[in-house]
Formats: sequence, C-alpha cells, structure tokens
Amino acid sequence: MKLWKRIRNLLNRRAFDRDLQEEMRIHREMAEEKLHHLGTPKEEARFAAMRAFGNATLAQEASRAEWTFFLESLVQDISIGVRMLRKSPGFTAVAILTLALGIGANTAMFSVINAVLLRPLPYENPQEIVVLRDNESLPNVMDIQKQASAFALGGAINAQPMDYTSGPEPLQIRVGLVNSGFFEILGVPPLMGRIFSEAEDVRGGPRLAVISYPFWQGYLGGDSRAIGRPILVGGNSYTVIGVLPETFVAPRERADVFLSLWVADPNTAADRDVHFLHTYWRLKKNVTLEQAQADVATIHSALAEQFPAEEKERRMRLLPLRESVVGNVRLALLVLFGAVGLVLLIACANFASLLIARGFARRQEMLIRAALGAGHGRLLRKLLTESTLLSFCGGAAGLLFAQWGTRMLLALKPRELSWLNGAHLDSRVLLFVLVVSVLTGIIFGIAPALLAARTDVAAALNEGGRSKTAGVAGHRIRKIMVTAEVAFALVLLVGAGLFIKGFSRLRSVNPGFNPSGVLTVYLQLPATRYREIPKQTQFRRELLARLNSLPGVQTGMITDIPLGGNYVGHKLVIAGRPPVPKGDEPLVQTLTVMGDYFRVMRIPLRAGRDFSEMDREGQPLVAMVNEELARQFFSRDNPVGSRIAWAPDIGLPQWMTIVGVVGDVKHSGLNQPTDPAVYTPFVQSDEPWKRFMTLALRTDNSSSDLVGQVKAQVWSVDRQIPVSDVQTMDQRMAVSLAQQRFYMLLLGAFAALALTLAAVGIYGLVAYTASQSTHEIGIRMALGGQPRDVLRWILAEGAKLAFFGILIGIGGAFALTRVMAGLLFEVQPSDPAIFFGVAILLALVALAACYIPARRATRVDPIVALRYE
Amino acid sequence: MGLIRSAEPDFLPGTLEMLILQTLSRGTNHGYGIAQHIQQISQDALKIGEGSLYPALQRLLLNDYVVAEWGLSENNRRARFYKITAAGRKQLAQEKRNFDALLAGIARVLETP
Repeated sequence: MKLWKRIRNLLNRRAFDRDLQEEMRIHREMAEEKLHHLGTPKEEARFAAMRAFGNATLAQEASRAEWTFFLESLVQDISIGVRMLRKSPGFTAVAILTLALGIGANTAMFSVINAVLLRPLPYENPQEIVVLRDNESLPNVMDIQKQASAFALGGAINAQPMDYTSGPEPLQIRVGLVNSGFFEILGVPPLMGRIFSEAEDVRGGPRLAVISYPFWQGYLGGDSRAIGRPILVGGNSYTVIGVLPETFVAPRERADVFLSLWVADPNTAADRDVHFLHTYWRLKKNVTLEQAQADVATIHSALAEQFPAEEKERRMRLLPLRESVVGNVRLALLVLFGAVGLVLLIACANFASLLIARGFARRQEMLIRAALGAGHGRLLRKLLTESTLLSFCGGAAGLLFAQWGTRMLLALKPRELSWLNGAHLDSRVLLFVLVVSVLTGIIFGIAPALLAARTDVAAALNEGGRSKTAGVAGHRIRKIMVTAEVAFALVLLVGAGLFIKGFSRLRSVNPGFNPSGVLTVYLQLPATRYREIPKQTQFRRELLARLNSLPGVQTGMITDIPLGGNYVGHKLVIAGRPPVPKGDEPLVQTLTVMGDYFRVMRIPLRAGRDFSEMDREGQPLVAMVNEELARQFFSRDNPVGSRIAWAPDIGLPQWMTIVGVVGDVKHSGLNQPTDPAVYTPFVQSDEPWKRFMTLALRTDNSSSDLVGQVKAQVWSVDRQIPVSDVQTMDQRMAVSLAQQRFYMLLLGAFAALALTLAAVGIYGLVAYTASQSTHEIGIRMALGGQPRDVLRWILAEGAKLAFFGILIGIGGAFALTRVMAGLLFEVQPSDPAIFFGVAILLALVALAACYIPARRATRVDPIVALRYE
Repeated sequence: MGLIRSAEPDFLPGTLEMLILQTLSRGTNHGYGIAQHIQQISQDALKIGEGSLYPALQRLLLNDYVVAEWGLSENNRRARFYKITAAGRKQLAQEKRNFDALLAGIARVLETP
C-alpha cells in the first residue's frame, strides 16, 4: 500500500511541492506574527522567523525524500545512462552487438531446448505416462492391461501407410491403427464427434475412423458435416466419427486417420508374434516407475514361459514418455547448449573487457563526480545501471537474432527432431533472455564498475591525471578475460573439429550400394483385393514388365529399402547344425526382392548367383545372404549350397538353399553396423502380409519425367494404388546424414562465432595496450629502436595470452569433449590431429588479431609519440 | 530529561513522531501549532526544528497515522491541519509503552551504582 501511495505521490509531485511550500510559508508567517505580537518590530520578526526556520530548501528536500523510493532514482540513473551511451555510439554499438550475438545464439538454442526438453508434452498429466521401450503385440498389451496393477490403462498404436481412394487420385496416407485406450491414455478429447468406445474396438466391430485436424482440413475441406461421412481407406469404407483438435500430435507417430486395429486388421491384432505396436501406459496414482517395472517384469516372465517362441528372447522395459520421445537427442542438445553457453561467456568477457577500457578512459569523470561528493555506492550503482542497460539492449537485439536463428535451426533440422517444430518464443524463452541479460549486465559489469568507482581523489590529483596505476588492475583483469576467451574458443573449435571429422568419416562410409541415379517409390497393395500371394505376384510381374519396357530403365523391388528405417526380422535355423532351444535362435534381417534389385542398386555379388526367372513358384526355395551373415554363421566356409530356414512355430522348417552371397549394405543407417541379412524372392514368399514394396529404378535418361511415367505404369496396372514416398536414393543418403550434419553445422557455427569474438577480444586488448604505450614506443624509437623490435614487443604481449589460453583450452577440451563421445562417429574425443590443428588455427588467428594493431603502433612518429598524453 | 536537549538529530529515532502523535491526540493542529505546543508543554526544553518536523509529518502521512487537510485556523488563516487516525492512536499507545520500558531500563542502569 505504501508503494502505491509513493507512486501516487510521484505522479502528483507538483501539487505535493506546492502544498509543502505553502505550508512552510504559513509556518514562518505564524512565527513572525507571534514575535511581532510579543513586541518585536515587523522587519526584525520576519528575519528572526526565517532564521528560526532554518534552511527551507533542505527541509523541503528532506520531506520529499520521505516519499521517494528506489524506482525514482533508478529512472534517473537510466536516463543519465542512456545519455552517456548515446554520447559514445561506437562503444555502445560494439558492446551491444557482442552481447546480442552471444545472447541471440543462446536464446535460439534455449527455445529448442525448451520445446524439446522442458515444455510439458501436450497430454493430460504427461508425467504419469510411461512407454515400453520395445514394440509390443496386441495380445501382450491386453495381457499386461489385464494383469498389471501398476497401470490404469494401456494404449497402443502402429502407424503405417495405407491408400486413401475417396479423392480424385489414389493417395497414400498415414493410418494409426490403435486400440481404444490410445486416446484415453493421452487424454485428448476430440474437437468434434467422439472416439471409439471399448465395445467398438473388437474383431468385426463397426468400421469407424477418427481423423486428424490436418486431414479434416486438407482432405475433407474442413466440412463441419464431416462426422458420419464415409471415407475409403485400404479398400474399405470407414465412417468418420470424430475429428481431433488442431494441437494434437501423437507422441512418436505421424498419422492422418486412426482406425481400430481389431477392426482394420484383426489377424495381425490377434498375433502375439507381431511386435509392432508403440505402447503408452498411465501409471496409477502413487505408483513409481520402478514398481511398474517390477510389475511388468513379473508379467513378462509368465508370458515367456507360456509363449517361449514369441516371448523368450524379448524384454519389457519401461521408460518415461519424455525419454522415449526425445531419445538420444537429449545429449546432443545439452552438448550444443553447453557450447553456446561458452559462446556467451566469451561475449561476456569481451563485454567486461570493453567496460574496463571505458572505465579507465572515464576516470576523469569519475574523479570529478567523487570530488563533488558522489559516494562510492552511488558511483557503483550508476556504472552498474549503465552496464545493465547495455546488456538489456544486447538482450533485445539478441531476441531478433534468436528469431532468425530459430528459423534457421528449424530449416536445418533432421527428421528425428520433429519436436523442434514447437520451438518458438514463449514466456519461458522471454524470461530466459531477461534473466541472462540482467545477470550479464550485473555479473560482468561489477568488476569493471568496482575498478572505475575506486577513486582516491587525493591520490589521483597528486598524480596529475597521469595515473597509470589505476589501469594496472584493470589491465590484468582484461588479460585474464582474453586468455579465458581463447581457452573457451579452443574448446569449441575442438568440439566442432571432432564433429566435422566424424561427419566426413560418415560421408565416406561405403553404403554397399551406388545411390546415384536411383529413384525409389513406395507402393502398397490394398488387403481387400490383394489378400492372396498369387494376385500380388501377378501385379508385381505385370508392373516390372511394364517399367522395364520404358527406354533406359532398369527396375527392381524390395520390401524395405536401405536407409528407409524399416526391416522385418526372422529367427534363423541352419540345416545340419545342432538344434537351438526354441526362442533362442538368432534374429536376422529379412528382405524380399524381385526383378533386377541387386543390379539396380549395384550391390556386388560375392559368390554364387543372383535370383533368376527359374526361381519361381513351385520350384525349390532359394535365398541369398549378405557377407555379414556368411561371416557370422559360416565363418570361412562358403555358404552357397547350405540350407537355411525360419524357425517354425509348429511343424518342420521350410528349407531354402543359399544360392548366392552379396555385399553388405548399410541398411539401418550409415553410422549403424551391418546386420546379417537374408534375401528371398517375392515369388516364393509364403507371407501374404508383405503387400508392400519399394521400387528401385535406375535410369540413364535423367531428362525424362520418370516419376510421371512410373505413376502412369502403376495406374495402368491398377488405378487404385497410390504412388508415394518418391525419393532418389541420394536424398535418402542425405536424410541419413542429416542429424550428424545438423550437429556439425550448429557446433561449427558456434565455434566460428567464438573464434570471431575471441579474435575481437585479442585485437581490442592489444590495440588498447599499444595506444597506452604510445609514449613508451616513442622513447624506444627515439633511442634507436627499430619498428621490427616494437612490432615484436607488442606481438609478444598478445602471443603470450594466446599461448596460455590455448594451453588451458587444450586441458579443458580434454575434459569436456569426453561427453560428446556418444555423438561422434568413429572419432575419439581426444583425436590428436584435431587438437593439434585447432591449436595451430587459433594461434594463427590470435597472431593476426595482434598483428594489425601492433603494425599500426610501429608507424608512430617518435616526436608525436613523445608529446602524446 | 537531559538526554533530549533539542529537537535536532539528538532525538531518539521515532520520539518526535510520538510527540507529534501525542499532540494531535488532543485535537487537530497545523505544523506551527504542533511545534509550539511541544515547545510550550516541555517548557522550552524541546525545540522542534522545521527541518525535522516536516519530514516527520511526511513519515506519519505515509504510514497513515495522520491525515492532512487544508482548513482555516482560529484567526481565519489558511493552514494545513493534521488529524490523528485510529491507526495513529494505536501506534501512539504502542510507542508510549515502548518508551516507558526504555526509560525504565535506562533508569535502572543509571541508578545502579
């Protein structure tokens, strides 16, 4: 309340002064009258009254002071500060720019951290949601849900591409096959309509669809009567019953339409062995993750006993939702945030260094202020107000940089960081900028302010303003700051260097195929019309024949294309080997191919032969393996001619004869190890669910519209098949490099920024030293010193700092880059070549930054220099 | 009361406010009147300087212990009158108690040989 009265008083300051003045005048008049009344002559009475009253102005000041508060003097300090800063625009601009770069980079990075790691996930009580690390089958989900006491409910989803044929052109959309618990777990109420009920989520239940907001807008035109409308998905008609809110995103899956798994694909739903569902679980109140983990482990060991073939090899581990969503990105983001923090420290060191130099230049002003009675505290406050004012402006300008930087980050982001999309300036980011700005201004302003406000008036006057001593402490601090800048810059450069080296290693990894000139296209046959394998084979044969008839086009197909992120695993048994207990068989990558796949991809044949037209239905089953499989399971023997099979659920294995060995392919990513893989021909497949395929087409005729021709050929075979995910193999390569590239670019940018700031810091210090030493240089030159000596003398000063900075930086980098080990591809965090190269680079930059001002100093005319003051 | 010789800074902190409140508890008064009253009652022992009186009045105003209003004095002069509030009376009682305790304490110290 008092504050409020004070503010009101502040606003009515004029009326307050008038009242007070009048009140005091009346007081004097009353005293005067009384004296006169007692017999004093009028004139004398007036003076007596005035004397008795004392200093009216002081009394008024003291009275007014009772009402003033900190805000008022702050406003005063700020307006003086603004005036001071405007008088030296060069200093102000450099200081603000330095801080803006540091704060801007940090803010951009923080808004990413905020979006990915800090902001609560957009679900109801997200901290209660946990995730099973590995994918699950629906029967497992239902068993856990039934038996676990830790969970209230389990949600499951598998997002997969399906065709959408209600539009003018068949389209591929992403369909989320879910159980009814999925939406309930996430706690997302629909924008319109409703979600499936538990009663509808059963085999043979009604065909209902819940659609995403973007699907509603893009495909159904945002029609408010969309509820009840039929849509054709995967060849079946589903009735739209609900639209999800615009803000809804599934935690890890992208889907346009959600269907009940039991309704859309009852056979897979019932199969315990198809572990394809992401699952989400809501912990009951007061249940910890550890308790739930124990609960799940008990249930799983019972399942493993009951279903050894499906469950024995598997584990069930719970993770918090955030961890599963963010995954391995957390470490990278924290490393980047640490890096950008170093950039800020360098910027702050430059800022402090600038302030010290300026404080020294202003010692006359401080002396006068101190001589006129300004106390130490008052001077300190004034200087801190100025530095905070600067850091504030730096923060504001930094926000602009951050806006731009965040946009750039989003443009560069790899697919894995889709959560970055939420990165924007929110109140938390603004608070971050505010706190960083104010702390920068105060923490890095305090030492310079203490130095500048340390005014011993008498001593300074005795020195006749020629004081050098006052500058010594400041100079030492600046030297320390510059040394620290060099050290920090070195740490960042080493980090960036390691990433660059890792990235170039990754780029030079042989993927096992030749990506250039290969186009890939995803197709999926609808279950309604292609349930049986012969129908699928007929489609594939027909399509391959048509595509191969295009001039200059060579075509093959495979279930899952390398770098596409998917593969199917099967358990392997080898004929003639001692039997392995059920469930303990090794898991291998299983890929089904057709056409000229290996030749299109230029995957070399190492032994045996390729599949041929003769390997068809009814003929002996054949397979090809990769070198890794041959190495792991056949050591030095030639596997060609050996027989392998998938571990059967029941009955005898279906033996396949290995006819050839092909080169290894980096299927799961360039930075991933090669898994043992088995290739089988589509025509001999006994798995009718493999209705999907990726076409790989190689053409020497790059000018033709291959995509258009492929579409035309696909649709000439079946008008209802969507052609989707059209990408060149080179694009897929780029995507698989994207994450490493992203980290490398960011860290590289930060390191470049750090290097520039550190160079500016060295330059500033050496230039300042040189200008302070003009007198001394003049004497040296007058006494016969050569410009070369002067140059060497000044260079030595900068070189000494750079040397110590580099030395300290190397120590720091050794300690700090260790945390990056998990992010680097085939590079040791202590790679000596990088450390050495970076140290040399930094030394050269530092020397260049010293050379320019040193060179200038040698051009001084000795006469001028001696007179210089 | 040798301790408080004048109304200048020798006053124990808060004492002047207490005296002003005491004066006002007898009825509204203006600044000059308050100073005169204290001087008369203390038989010239306490002379309140304006340099302390007006700041003290501002403190009282700020704390809502008194309110001020322009009015007419006994001989029809315009003057700013101060009036004690309920909060002011409470504060006065409190300060008197504290002051008594303080004086008693001082007296005990002084009387002990």
